[in-house]
Amino acid sequence: MRFEIEVELDGMTYEYGIAFELPERFKELRVLEEKLAVNGKPIYTREQAEVHLGAKQVQELTARELMIGAHFRIDWHLVALPIVQEQSQKDPLFVFKQWLARMLILRPIPQLIQGDSDHETLQPNAQVTDFAAWFAGLLALAPAAYSTIDDYLKRLMPDLKDIKNPVIGKDSRSLVVQFSANQGSPSILESLTVPFEDLSDGEKCFMICALVLAANDAYGPLFCFWDEPDNHLALPEVGHFVLALRKAFQRGGQFIATSHNPEAIRRFSDENTIVLHRRSHLEPTTARRLDEMQIEGDLVGALIRGDVEP
Amino acid sequence: MTNRYHPHVLVLPEDDANSRLANGFILGLDQSVLARIQVLPEVGGWRAVLDTFEVDLVARMDRFTQGYLVLLIDFDGEDGRLDDVKRRIPERLSDRVFILGAWTEPEALKRAGLGSYETIGAALANDCRYGTDTSWSHALLQHNADEIHRLRQHVRPILF
Repeated sequence: MRFEIEVELDGMTYEYGIAFELPERFKELRVLEEKLAVNGKPIYTREQAEVHLGAKQVQELTARELMIGAHFRIDWHLVALPIVQEQSQKDPLFVFKQWLARMLILRPIPQLIQGDSDHETLQPNAQVTDFAAWFAGLLALAPAAYSTIDDYLKRLMPDLKDIKNPVIGKDSRSLVVQFSANQGSPSILESLTVPFEDLSDGEKCFMICALVLAANDAYGPLFCFWDEPDNHLALPEVGHFVLALRKAFQRGGQFIATSHNPEAIRRFSDENTIVLHRRSHLEPTTARRLDEMQIEGDLVGALIRGDVEP
Repeated sequence: MTNRYHPHVLVLPEDDANSRLANGFILGLDQSVLARIQVLPEVGGWRAVLDTFEVDLVARMDRFTQGYLVLLIDFDGEDGRLDDVKRRIPERLSDRVFILGAWTEPEALKRAGLGSYETIGAALANDCRYGTDTSWSHALLQHNADEIHRLRQHVRPILF
């Protein structure tokens, strides 16, 4: 089993690969080989338990470490990437690890998202149940990110006034969202304050989208994978939602979404759509670009008929 | 959601290819105006575009008077296609409905080496933004000149 990832960061191409094997009589997979290279030059390579550091890493070793040698052994069940130590924040190893750590893998469950937080983070969990901690972490890192959040949300919810995150106890905060009547529009109330957890599922998804856009600006370029971003959205919102994310990631980073929703699928094109298909539970999932397939008639119609098979 | 009571643009494409051109056009706009334009589901042929327009959209345009509509069709090399379509547009809506499309079909634009549909759409948006005709003057698109001129007068302030 082999995993490979290639990413361009600050004009440099990072290639990371890891392969596992399951020898006879083994109960667990062990690492067969592993490698991180930048612009083709290895940062480290590894064969089973033996890790070899690349030339740059060797230059930065102390004399004592050099006596030991520019290689070391680790348990062959462990991945070397988190173990090999970076020398500074400019070290390519640090740059790559930080990019990996800040990758956004999102599968939000809005019903579970509350507005309370007792810490700050830039690495939300997949269900985004720590939304409030992410909000706090993002604004602590880059207060100007609030303007991106505000711009995006006010286009969708013109009556949004602001989002506040007041202290409610020792080290804890709770998000509240304020709405106010637009000038000239008839309204029973002048303003309304809503605890974050009382927003609708779709509104919470707008909030997450706003943070994704702001995060990509503030500490990107990010890789963002969103599993079915159309979930919880009203039909007229789906197209705008997907295109706003695609547009935001044109400037840097990468956005990937999975979807079964016709409107979300329509907002992508043949050359950037990959069709995943599995014939049975016993066979692997196959992936094929849509522009390599012959589709009769319109795509959504073919998908509904079940005629799209890689 | 597009605010129906504010100026907005709907695009009705005849097929997948035209829908993707529209995607590219939208991706060529600023993030701040994305909510002012919406691509409707493709309907399968230029005649179906007209049927959908008459059945679903005429009454909507009467109701929401800030809305503009772009019918994105294939001209299939037919000189009379534009007039055929215009005849089906009520006089009262003629300032708010525009008819655009490739002279034959969008596939020909790709074959002509203009790039993917999204690339072509984004290039057309750039022309609209800067008032140029770099892409719109292509042999397969230059027949749109009069409609583009009208479009710039009415729609440019909404999207650019």
